[in-house]
Amino acid sequence: MRLFKDLYQYRELLKTNVKKEIRGKYKGSFLGVLWSFINPLLQVLVYAIVFPFIMRSSPDHFIVYLVIGIIPWNFFITCMNQGMITVRMNAGIIKKVYFPREILPLSVTLSGLVNFFISCIVIILFCIFGGVGPLSWHVILVPIFAFIQFLFTSGLVFAFSAINIYIKDTEYIIQFFINLLFYATPILYEATLLPERIRWVLYLNPLTHLIETYRDLFMYHTLPSLTSVGYLIFITLIVLFIGYAIFKKLEKGFAEEV
Amino acid sequence: MNAIEIRNMYKDFKLVYDKPTTLKERICFWKTTKVQKRQVLKNINLDIKKGETVALIGTNGSGKSTLLKLMTKILYPNKGTLETHGKLTSLLELGAGFHPDFTGRENIYFNAAIFGLTRQEIDKRIDEIIEFSELGDFIDNPVRTYSSGMYMRLAFSIAINVDAEILLIDEILAVGDQHFQDKCFAKLKEMKKSEKTIVIVTHSLGQVRELCNRAIWIYNGEVRMDGTPNEVVDEYLKVCQ
Repeated sequence: MRLFKDLYQYRELLKTNVKKEIRGKYKGSFLGVLWSFINPLLQVLVYAIVFPFIMRSSPDHFIVYLVIGIIPWNFFITCMNQGMITVRMNAGIIKKVYFPREILPLSVTLSGLVNFFISCIVIILFCIFGGVGPLSWHVILVPIFAFIQFLFTSGLVFAFSAINIYIKDTEYIIQFFINLLFYATPILYEATLLPERIRWVLYLNPLTHLIETYRDLFMYHTLPSLTSVGYLIFITLIVLFIGYAIFKKLEKGFAEEV
Repeated sequence: MNAIEIRNMYKDFKLVYDKPTTLKERICFWKTTKVQKRQVLKNINLDIKKGETVALIGTNGSGKSTLLKLMTKILYPNKGTLETHGKLTSLLELGAGFHPDFTGRENIYFNAAIFGLTRQEIDKRIDEIIEFSELGDFIDNPVRTYSSGMYMRLAFSIAINVDAEILLIDEILAVGDQHFQDKCFAKLKEMKKSEKTIVIVTHSLGQVRELCNRAIWIYNGEVRMDGTPNEVVDEYLKVCQ
Protein backbone atom coordinates (compact mmCIF):
# COMPACT_ATOMS: atom_id res chain seq x y z
CA MET A 1 0.00 0.00 0.00
CA ARG A 2 2.84 2.28 0.93
CA LEU A 3 4.34 1.59 -2.48
CA PHE A 4 1.25 2.75 -4.35
CA LYS A 5 1.04 5.93 -2.31
CA ASP A 6 4.69 6.69 -3.02
CA LEU A 7 4.33 5.93 -6.70
CA TYR A 8 1.30 8.15 -6.92
CA GLN A 9 3.11 11.03 -5.28
CA TYR A 10 6.18 10.59 -7.44
CA ARG A 11 4.22 9.94 -10.66
CA GLU A 12 5.88 12.85 -12.43
CA LEU A 13 9.31 11.35 -11.76
CA LEU A 14 8.12 7.96 -13.02
CA LYS A 15 6.72 9.59 -16.13
CA THR A 16 9.86 11.55 -17.01
CA ASN A 17 11.99 8.46 -16.33
CA VAL A 18 9.91 6.29 -18.62
CA LYS A 19 10.16 8.92 -21.34
CA LYS A 20 13.91 9.17 -20.89
CA GLU A 21 14.19 5.39 -21.00
CA ILE A 22 12.30 5.18 -24.30
CA ARG A 23 13.90 8.15 -26.03
CA GLY A 24 17.34 8.08 -24.44
CA LYS A 25 18.38 4.66 -25.68
CA TYR A 26 18.65 5.59 -29.32
CA LYS A 27 19.44 9.25 -28.81
CA GLY A 28 21.79 10.55 -31.45
CA SER A 29 21.09 7.78 -33.95
CA PHE A 30 19.58 8.76 -37.26
CA LEU A 31 16.39 6.74 -36.96
CA GLY A 32 15.96 7.28 -33.22
CA VAL A 33 13.10 5.43 -31.53
CA LEU A 34 12.28 3.63 -34.77
CA TRP A 35 15.20 1.31 -34.03
CA SER A 36 13.25 -0.41 -31.28
CA PHE A 37 10.86 -1.64 -34.00
CA ILE A 38 13.38 -2.22 -36.75
CA ASN A 39 15.69 -4.27 -34.54
CA PRO A 40 13.31 -7.18 -33.88
CA LEU A 41 12.30 -7.20 -37.54
CA LEU A 42 15.90 -7.53 -38.63
CA GLN A 43 16.24 -10.36 -36.16
CA VAL A 44 13.18 -12.02 -37.68
CA LEU A 45 14.75 -11.60 -41.09
CA VAL A 46 17.91 -13.42 -40.00
CA TYR A 47 16.03 -16.38 -38.55
CA ALA A 48 13.63 -16.52 -41.47
CA ILE A 49 16.53 -16.81 -43.88
CA VAL A 50 18.73 -19.15 -41.88
CA PHE A 51 16.33 -21.44 -40.09
CA PRO A 52 14.57 -23.19 -42.96
CA PHE A 53 17.99 -24.45 -44.03
CA ILE A 54 18.79 -25.99 -40.67
CA MET A 55 15.43 -27.41 -39.80
CA ARG A 56 13.68 -29.90 -41.99
CA SER A 57 10.27 -28.42 -41.36
CA SER A 58 9.31 -25.03 -40.07
CA PRO A 59 5.90 -24.01 -38.68
CA ASP A 60 3.21 -22.78 -41.05
CA HIS A 61 3.35 -19.06 -41.77
CA PHE A 62 6.85 -19.08 -40.35
CA ILE A 63 7.40 -15.31 -40.56
CA VAL A 64 4.24 -14.49 -38.60
CA TYR A 65 5.13 -17.25 -36.18
CA LEU A 66 8.56 -15.71 -35.65
CA VAL A 67 7.29 -12.15 -35.29
CA ILE A 68 4.86 -13.13 -32.55
CA GLY A 69 7.67 -14.99 -30.79
CA ILE A 70 10.44 -12.46 -31.08
CA ILE A 71 8.65 -9.24 -30.22
CA PRO A 72 7.49 -10.42 -26.76
CA TRP A 73 10.90 -12.01 -26.22
CA ASN A 74 12.50 -8.66 -27.02
CA PHE A 75 10.23 -6.99 -24.49
CA PHE A 76 11.54 -9.45 -21.92
CA ILE A 77 15.22 -9.27 -22.77
CA THR A 78 15.38 -5.48 -23.13
CA CYS A 79 13.82 -5.06 -19.69
CA MET A 80 16.26 -7.54 -18.20
CA ASN A 81 19.35 -6.03 -19.79
CA GLN A 82 18.52 -2.46 -18.90
CA GLY A 83 16.85 -3.29 -15.62
CA MET A 84 19.76 -5.18 -14.09
CA ILE A 85 22.07 -2.19 -14.41
CA THR A 86 19.55 0.55 -13.70
CA VAL A 87 20.41 0.99 -10.01
CA ARG A 88 24.12 1.08 -10.78
CA MET A 89 23.64 3.56 -13.62
CA ASN A 90 21.82 5.93 -11.30
CA ALA A 91 24.40 5.70 -8.54
CA GLY A 92 25.05 9.44 -8.57
CA ILE A 93 21.52 10.39 -7.82
CA ILE A 94 20.95 7.59 -5.32
CA LYS A 95 23.75 8.98 -3.19
CA LYS A 96 22.37 12.50 -3.19
CA VAL A 97 18.60 12.50 -3.15
CA TYR A 98 15.87 10.45 -1.57
CA PHE A 99 13.08 9.15 -3.78
CA PRO A 100 11.32 5.79 -3.78
CA ARG A 101 13.99 3.53 -5.27
CA GLU A 102 11.36 1.28 -6.87
CA ILE A 103 10.94 3.98 -9.49
CA LEU A 104 14.20 2.95 -11.17
CA PRO A 105 13.39 -0.68 -12.06
CA LEU A 106 9.74 0.13 -12.65
CA SER A 107 10.50 2.83 -15.18
CA VAL A 108 12.55 0.32 -17.18
CA THR A 109 9.80 -2.31 -17.27
CA LEU A 110 7.06 0.27 -17.83
CA SER A 111 8.91 1.69 -20.81
CA GLY A 112 9.24 -1.89 -22.07
CA LEU A 113 5.50 -2.33 -21.74
CA VAL A 114 4.78 0.88 -23.65
CA ASN A 115 7.22 -0.21 -26.33
CA PHE A 116 5.54 -3.60 -26.56
CA PHE A 117 2.10 -2.07 -27.04
CA ILE A 118 3.42 0.00 -29.91
CA SER A 119 5.15 -3.06 -31.35
CA CYS A 120 1.80 -4.87 -31.32
CA ILE A 121 0.92 -2.75 -34.34
CA VAL A 122 3.76 -4.48 -36.18
CA ILE A 123 2.44 -7.89 -35.10
CA ILE A 124 -1.07 -6.97 -36.24
CA LEU A 125 0.21 -5.82 -39.62
CA PHE A 126 2.06 -9.11 -40.10
CA CYS A 127 -1.06 -11.06 -39.06
CA ILE A 128 -3.26 -9.22 -41.55
CA PHE A 129 -0.86 -9.43 -44.48
CA GLY A 130 0.78 -12.71 -43.51
CA GLY A 131 -2.06 -14.95 -44.54
CA VAL A 132 -3.31 -16.11 -41.15
CA GLY A 133 -6.75 -14.66 -41.68
CA PRO A 134 -8.36 -11.56 -40.21
CA LEU A 135 -7.90 -10.75 -36.51
CA SER A 136 -10.53 -12.09 -34.15
CA TRP A 137 -11.92 -10.71 -30.90
CA HIS A 138 -9.25 -12.69 -29.01
CA VAL A 139 -6.81 -9.85 -29.57
CA ILE A 140 -8.48 -7.75 -26.90
CA LEU A 141 -7.06 -10.16 -24.30
CA VAL A 142 -3.48 -9.34 -25.30
CA PRO A 143 -3.11 -6.37 -22.91
CA ILE A 144 -3.95 -8.64 -19.97
CA PHE A 145 -1.11 -10.99 -20.82
CA ALA A 146 1.22 -8.11 -21.61
CA PHE A 147 0.48 -6.86 -18.11
CA ILE A 148 1.23 -10.29 -16.64
CA GLN A 149 4.53 -10.29 -18.52
CA PHE A 150 5.23 -6.80 -17.18
CA LEU A 151 4.66 -7.97 -13.60
CA PHE A 152 6.75 -11.10 -14.08
CA THR A 153 9.66 -9.16 -15.58
CA SER A 154 9.39 -6.49 -12.88
CA GLY A 155 9.78 -9.16 -10.23
CA LEU A 156 12.97 -10.41 -11.83
CA VAL A 157 14.31 -6.91 -12.42
CA PHE A 158 13.62 -5.92 -8.81
CA ALA A 159 15.65 -8.86 -7.55
CA PHE A 160 18.59 -8.72 -9.93
CA SER A 161 19.03 -4.95 -10.06
CA ALA A 162 19.45 -5.02 -6.27
CA ILE A 163 21.68 -8.09 -6.11
CA ASN A 164 23.84 -6.67 -8.89
CA ILE A 165 24.88 -3.83 -6.58
CA TYR A 166 26.40 -6.25 -4.12
CA ILE A 167 27.73 -8.85 -6.54
CA LYS A 168 28.65 -7.37 -9.89
CA ASP A 169 28.86 -10.79 -11.56
CA THR A 170 25.10 -11.14 -11.45
CA GLU A 171 24.80 -9.29 -14.72
CA TYR A 172 26.99 -11.77 -16.57
CA ILE A 173 25.59 -14.88 -14.94
CA ILE A 174 22.04 -13.83 -15.74
CA GLN A 175 23.13 -12.99 -19.27
CA PHE A 176 24.12 -16.64 -19.69
CA PHE A 177 20.79 -17.88 -18.38
CA ILE A 178 18.90 -15.55 -20.66
CA ASN A 179 20.80 -16.99 -23.63
CA LEU A 180 19.86 -20.45 -22.47
CA LEU A 181 16.27 -19.42 -21.97
CA PHE A 182 16.03 -18.22 -25.56
CA TYR A 183 16.45 -21.78 -26.77
CA ALA A 184 14.29 -23.18 -23.99
CA THR A 185 11.36 -21.14 -25.26
CA PRO A 186 9.52 -22.14 -28.45
CA ILE A 187 10.36 -18.96 -30.32
CA LEU A 188 12.09 -20.41 -33.37
CA TYR A 189 10.54 -23.86 -33.27
CA GLU A 190 7.30 -25.50 -32.22
CA ALA A 191 7.02 -27.17 -28.84
CA THR A 192 5.79 -30.33 -30.51
CA LEU A 193 9.20 -30.70 -32.11
CA LEU A 194 10.60 -31.92 -28.82
CA PRO A 195 10.18 -35.57 -27.82
CA GLU A 196 7.26 -35.94 -25.48
CA ARG A 197 9.24 -37.19 -22.50
CA ILE A 198 11.27 -33.97 -22.18
CA ARG A 199 8.65 -31.54 -23.42
CA TRP A 200 7.47 -30.84 -19.87
CA VAL A 201 10.75 -29.02 -19.22
CA LEU A 202 9.74 -26.46 -21.80
CA TYR A 203 6.46 -25.90 -19.99
CA LEU A 204 8.17 -25.12 -16.70
CA ASN A 205 9.31 -21.94 -18.38
CA PRO A 206 6.64 -19.27 -17.95
CA LEU A 207 7.79 -17.56 -21.13
CA THR A 208 6.71 -20.64 -23.08
CA HIS A 209 3.18 -20.15 -21.81
CA LEU A 210 3.29 -16.44 -22.53
CA ILE A 211 4.48 -16.75 -26.09
CA GLU A 212 2.12 -19.60 -26.90
CA THR A 213 -0.70 -17.52 -25.48
CA TYR A 214 0.22 -14.59 -27.71
CA ARG A 215 0.20 -16.96 -30.68
CA ASP A 216 -3.17 -18.38 -29.66
CA LEU A 217 -4.63 -14.90 -29.52
CA PHE A 218 -3.02 -13.33 -32.59
CA MET A 219 -2.59 -16.26 -34.91
CA TYR A 220 -4.75 -19.25 -34.06
CA HIS A 221 -7.80 -17.31 -32.81
CA THR A 222 -8.28 -19.53 -29.78
CA LEU A 223 -8.18 -19.08 -26.04
CA PRO A 224 -5.16 -20.28 -24.05
CA SER A 225 -5.76 -23.26 -21.80
CA LEU A 226 -6.80 -22.51 -18.25
CA THR A 227 -3.93 -24.50 -16.75
CA SER A 228 -1.53 -22.42 -18.78
CA VAL A 229 -3.04 -19.15 -17.52
CA GLY A 230 -3.24 -20.45 -13.97
CA TYR A 231 0.42 -21.51 -13.98
CA LEU A 232 1.44 -18.15 -15.45
CA ILE A 233 -0.38 -16.14 -12.79
CA PHE A 234 0.94 -18.39 -10.04
CA ILE A 235 4.59 -18.04 -11.12
CA THR A 236 4.21 -14.30 -11.73
CA LEU A 237 2.88 -13.70 -8.22
CA ILE A 238 5.67 -15.72 -6.64
CA VAL A 239 8.41 -14.01 -8.66
CA LEU A 240 6.97 -10.56 -8.02
CA PHE A 241 6.59 -11.17 -4.31
CA ILE A 242 10.08 -12.62 -3.79
CA GLY A 243 11.73 -10.11 -6.14
CA TYR A 244 10.19 -7.15 -4.39
CA ALA A 245 11.06 -8.53 -0.96
CA ILE A 246 14.71 -8.88 -2.03
CA PHE A 247 14.72 -5.34 -3.40
CA LYS A 248 13.22 -3.89 -0.22
CA LYS A 249 15.72 -5.77 1.91
CA LEU A 250 18.74 -4.60 -0.10
CA GLU A 251 17.73 -1.05 -1.03
CA LYS A 252 18.79 0.38 2.32
CA GLY A 253 22.42 -0.26 1.50
CA PHE A 254 22.34 1.15 -2.03
CA ALA A 255 23.86 4.52 -1.17
CA GLU A 256 26.77 2.89 0.64
CA GLU A 257 27.45 0.12 -1.86
CA VAL A 258 27.19 1.72 -5.29
CA MET B 1 4.94 18.09 17.87
CA ASN B 2 8.31 16.74 16.75
CA ALA B 3 9.40 16.97 13.15
CA ILE B 4 12.37 14.68 13.62
CA GLU B 5 12.80 12.08 16.34
CA ILE B 6 16.01 10.17 16.80
CA ARG B 7 16.35 7.45 19.42
CA ASN B 8 19.52 5.58 20.41
CA MET B 9 20.76 5.71 16.86
CA TYR B 10 24.06 4.20 15.75
CA LYS B 11 25.62 4.30 12.32
CA ASP B 12 28.66 2.32 11.23
CA PHE B 13 30.52 2.49 7.99
CA LYS B 14 32.28 -0.59 6.83
CA LEU B 15 35.86 0.04 5.93
CA VAL B 16 36.88 -2.80 3.69
CA TYR B 17 40.39 -3.20 2.40
CA ASP B 18 40.39 -4.60 -1.14
CA LYS B 19 36.67 -4.75 -1.23
CA PRO B 20 35.49 -7.87 -3.07
CA THR B 21 33.03 -6.87 -5.71
CA THR B 22 33.03 -9.91 -7.92
CA LEU B 23 31.97 -13.42 -7.11
CA LYS B 24 35.45 -14.79 -7.67
CA GLU B 25 36.94 -12.35 -5.18
CA ARG B 26 34.18 -13.07 -2.75
CA ILE B 27 34.84 -16.78 -2.87
CA CYS B 28 38.64 -16.59 -2.93
CA PHE B 29 39.04 -14.00 -0.22
CA TRP B 30 36.01 -14.59 1.91
CA LYS B 31 38.12 -15.15 4.98
CA THR B 32 40.98 -12.83 4.30
CA THR B 33 39.18 -9.57 3.61
CA LYS B 34 39.38 -7.40 6.62
CA VAL B 35 36.21 -5.59 7.41
CA GLN B 36 36.70 -2.84 9.87
CA LYS B 37 33.76 -1.04 11.29
CA ARG B 38 34.06 2.62 11.98
CA GLN B 39 31.40 4.06 14.14
CA VAL B 40 30.37 7.36 12.64
CA LEU B 41 27.50 8.16 14.95
CA LYS B 42 27.11 6.85 18.48
CA ASN B 43 23.96 6.79 20.50
CA ILE B 44 22.29 9.87 19.08
CA ASN B 45 19.11 11.03 20.78
CA LEU B 46 17.50 14.13 19.35
CA ASP B 47 14.10 15.71 19.15
CA ILE B 48 13.73 18.50 16.65
CA LYS B 49 10.46 20.30 17.09
CA LYS B 50 8.31 21.61 14.31
CA GLY B 51 9.29 25.15 13.42
CA GLU B 52 12.77 25.00 14.87
CA THR B 53 15.81 26.18 12.95
CA VAL B 54 18.69 23.99 13.99
CA ALA B 55 22.36 24.23 13.08
CA LEU B 56 24.67 21.26 13.25
CA ILE B 57 28.25 22.36 13.88
CA GLY B 58 31.48 20.50 14.36
CA THR B 59 34.82 19.80 12.75
CA ASN B 60 35.23 17.98 9.44
CA GLY B 61 34.54 14.28 9.71
CA SER B 62 32.56 14.53 12.91
CA GLY B 63 29.45 12.98 11.37
CA LYS B 64 27.25 16.02 10.64
CA SER B 65 26.66 15.24 7.00
CA THR B 66 26.05 11.58 7.76
CA LEU B 67 23.40 12.62 10.23
CA LEU B 68 21.78 14.73 7.55
CA LYS B 69 21.87 11.85 5.08
CA LEU B 70 20.20 9.62 7.64
CA MET B 71 17.45 12.20 8.06
CA THR B 72 16.71 12.20 4.31
CA LYS B 73 16.70 8.39 4.21
CA ILE B 74 19.59 8.05 1.83
CA LEU B 75 21.35 6.09 4.57
CA TYR B 76 19.70 3.94 7.21
CA PRO B 77 20.76 3.51 10.85
CA ASN B 78 22.39 0.27 12.01
CA LYS B 79 20.68 0.47 15.35
CA GLY B 80 17.98 2.65 16.83
CA THR B 81 15.31 4.61 15.03
CA LEU B 82 14.92 7.85 13.17
CA GLU B 83 11.51 9.18 12.28
CA THR B 84 10.51 12.25 10.36
CA HIS B 85 7.05 13.75 10.15
CA GLY B 86 6.13 15.90 7.19
CA LYS B 87 7.30 16.47 3.67
CA LEU B 88 11.05 16.69 3.52
CA THR B 89 13.46 18.20 1.04
CA SER B 90 17.19 18.04 1.20
CA LEU B 91 19.89 20.04 -0.45
CA LEU B 92 22.93 17.90 0.12
CA GLU B 93 24.69 18.53 -3.09
CA LEU B 94 23.90 21.17 -5.64
CA GLY B 95 22.11 20.14 -8.75
CA ALA B 96 21.83 16.45 -7.99
CA GLY B 97 20.07 14.98 -10.97
CA PHE B 98 20.73 17.86 -13.36
CA HIS B 99 21.23 16.78 -16.93
CA PRO B 100 23.92 18.98 -18.47
CA ASP B 101 22.51 18.79 -21.99
CA PHE B 102 19.03 19.97 -21.10
CA THR B 103 18.02 23.58 -20.58
CA GLY B 104 17.56 25.16 -17.20
CA ARG B 105 13.82 25.12 -17.65
CA GLU B 106 13.74 21.38 -18.44
CA ASN B 107 15.99 20.70 -15.50
CA ILE B 108 13.57 22.47 -13.21
CA TYR B 109 11.01 19.85 -14.21
CA PHE B 110 13.41 16.93 -13.74
CA ASN B 111 14.73 18.17 -10.44
CA ALA B 112 11.38 19.09 -8.96
CA ALA B 113 10.03 15.69 -10.02
CA ILE B 114 12.78 14.03 -7.99
CA PHE B 115 11.56 16.01 -5.02
CA GLY B 116 8.11 14.49 -5.57
CA LEU B 117 6.26 17.35 -7.25
CA THR B 118 3.65 16.76 -9.92
CA ARG B 119 3.57 18.54 -13.25
CA GLN B 120 0.80 20.94 -12.20
CA GLU B 121 2.62 21.83 -9.02
CA ILE B 122 5.77 22.60 -10.98
CA ASP B 123 3.84 24.64 -13.57
CA LYS B 124 2.47 26.72 -10.74
CA ARG B 125 5.89 27.42 -9.27
CA ILE B 126 8.07 27.71 -12.33
CA ASP B 127 7.86 31.49 -12.70
CA GLU B 128 8.74 31.95 -9.07
CA ILE B 129 11.71 29.59 -9.39
CA ILE B 130 13.06 31.35 -12.47
CA GLU B 131 12.60 34.74 -10.92
CA PHE B 132 14.34 33.73 -7.73
CA SER B 133 17.28 32.25 -9.64
CA GLU B 134 17.76 35.55 -11.55
CA LEU B 135 18.92 33.57 -14.56
CA GLY B 136 16.87 35.59 -17.02
CA ASP B 137 17.37 34.46 -20.61
CA PHE B 138 19.91 31.86 -19.57
CA ILE B 139 17.05 29.66 -18.37
CA ASP B 140 16.58 28.36 -21.92
CA ASN B 141 20.26 27.52 -22.40
CA PRO B 142 21.73 24.09 -21.60
CA VAL B 143 22.90 23.78 -18.03
CA ARG B 144 26.42 22.80 -19.11
CA THR B 145 26.94 26.37 -20.31
CA TYR B 146 26.25 27.75 -16.83
CA SER B 147 28.88 29.07 -14.50
CA SER B 148 29.09 27.29 -11.15
CA GLY B 149 27.36 30.21 -9.49
CA MET B 150 24.45 30.09 -11.91
CA TYR B 151 24.22 26.34 -11.47
CA MET B 152 24.01 26.75 -7.75
CA ARG B 153 21.44 29.51 -7.97
CA LEU B 154 19.15 27.34 -10.05
CA ALA B 155 19.52 24.35 -7.72
CA PHE B 156 18.85 26.44 -4.65
CA SER B 157 15.84 28.14 -6.20
CA ILE B 158 14.20 24.81 -6.98
CA ALA B 159 14.79 23.27 -3.58
CA ILE B 160 13.54 26.28 -1.72
CA ASN B 161 10.34 26.45 -3.75
CA VAL B 162 9.38 22.82 -3.21
CA ASP B 163 7.36 23.89 -0.19
CA ALA B 164 8.59 21.19 2.11
CA GLU B 165 7.82 21.22 5.80
CA ILE B 166 11.32 20.11 6.65
CA LEU B 167 14.35 21.49 4.81
CA LEU B 168 17.81 19.99 5.22
CA ILE B 169 20.77 21.98 3.93
CA ASP B 170 24.41 20.95 3.83
CA GLU B 171 27.06 23.70 3.66
CA ILE B 172 25.87 25.26 0.49
CA LEU B 173 25.04 28.79 1.43
CA ALA B 174 28.65 29.74 0.98
CA VAL B 175 28.42 29.71 -2.81
CA GLY B 176 27.04 32.45 -4.99
CA ASP B 177 27.86 36.14 -4.90
CA GLN B 178 27.15 38.38 -1.95
CA HIS B 179 23.87 39.55 -3.39
CA PHE B 180 22.51 36.03 -3.86
CA GLN B 181 23.80 34.88 -0.49
CA ASP B 182 21.90 37.70 1.16
CA LYS B 183 18.82 36.76 -0.78
CA CYS B 184 19.03 33.12 0.28
CA PHE B 185 19.56 34.18 3.81
CA ALA B 186 16.48 36.38 3.68
CA LYS B 187 14.47 33.54 2.18
CA LEU B 188 15.55 31.19 4.96
CA LYS B 189 14.54 33.78 7.54
CA GLU B 190 11.16 34.08 5.90
CA MET B 191 10.76 30.28 5.96
CA LYS B 192 11.74 30.24 9.58
CA LYS B 193 8.87 32.62 10.32
CA SER B 194 6.40 30.41 8.47
CA GLU B 195 6.88 27.52 10.84
CA LYS B 196 9.11 25.39 8.61
CA THR B 197 11.63 23.12 10.22
CA ILE B 198 15.15 23.78 8.98
CA VAL B 199 18.31 21.83 9.74
CA ILE B 200 21.56 23.23 8.38
CA VAL B 201 25.11 22.01 8.51
CA THR B 202 27.44 24.96 8.33
CA HIS B 203 30.82 26.31 9.24
CA SER B 204 29.89 29.96 9.14
CA LEU B 205 29.20 30.54 12.78
CA GLY B 206 27.97 34.07 12.23
CA GLN B 207 25.02 32.70 10.29
CA VAL B 208 24.30 30.24 13.06
CA ARG B 209 24.02 33.04 15.60
CA GLU B 210 21.83 35.13 13.38
CA LEU B 211 19.50 32.55 11.83
CA CYS B 212 19.13 29.61 14.16
CA ASN B 213 17.35 29.21 17.44
CA ARG B 214 19.20 26.08 18.40
CA ALA B 215 22.65 24.68 17.76
CA ILE B 216 23.93 21.16 18.17
CA TRP B 217 27.62 20.45 18.36
CA ILE B 218 28.58 17.04 17.02
CA TYR B 219 31.97 15.82 18.18
CA ASN B 220 33.37 12.45 17.06
CA GLY B 221 29.94 11.10 16.32
CA GLU B 222 28.34 12.16 19.56
CA VAL B 223 26.27 15.11 20.63
CA ARG B 224 28.67 17.16 22.68
CA MET B 225 26.49 20.14 23.35
CA ASP B 226 22.94 21.17 22.57
CA GLY B 227 21.57 24.59 23.35
CA THR B 228 21.12 28.17 22.20
CA PRO B 229 23.38 29.21 19.33
CA ASN B 230 25.40 31.71 21.32
CA GLU B 231 26.24 29.29 24.13
CA VAL B 232 27.18 26.44 21.84
CA VAL B 233 29.16 28.56 19.38
CA ASP B 234 31.13 30.26 22.18
CA GLU B 235 32.01 26.93 23.73
CA TYR B 236 32.90 25.47 20.34
CA LEU B 237 35.22 28.36 19.58
CA LYS B 238 36.90 28.05 22.95
CA VAL B 239 37.71 24.39 22.38
CA CYS B 240 38.81 24.87 18.79
CA GLN B 241 41.38 27.49 19.60
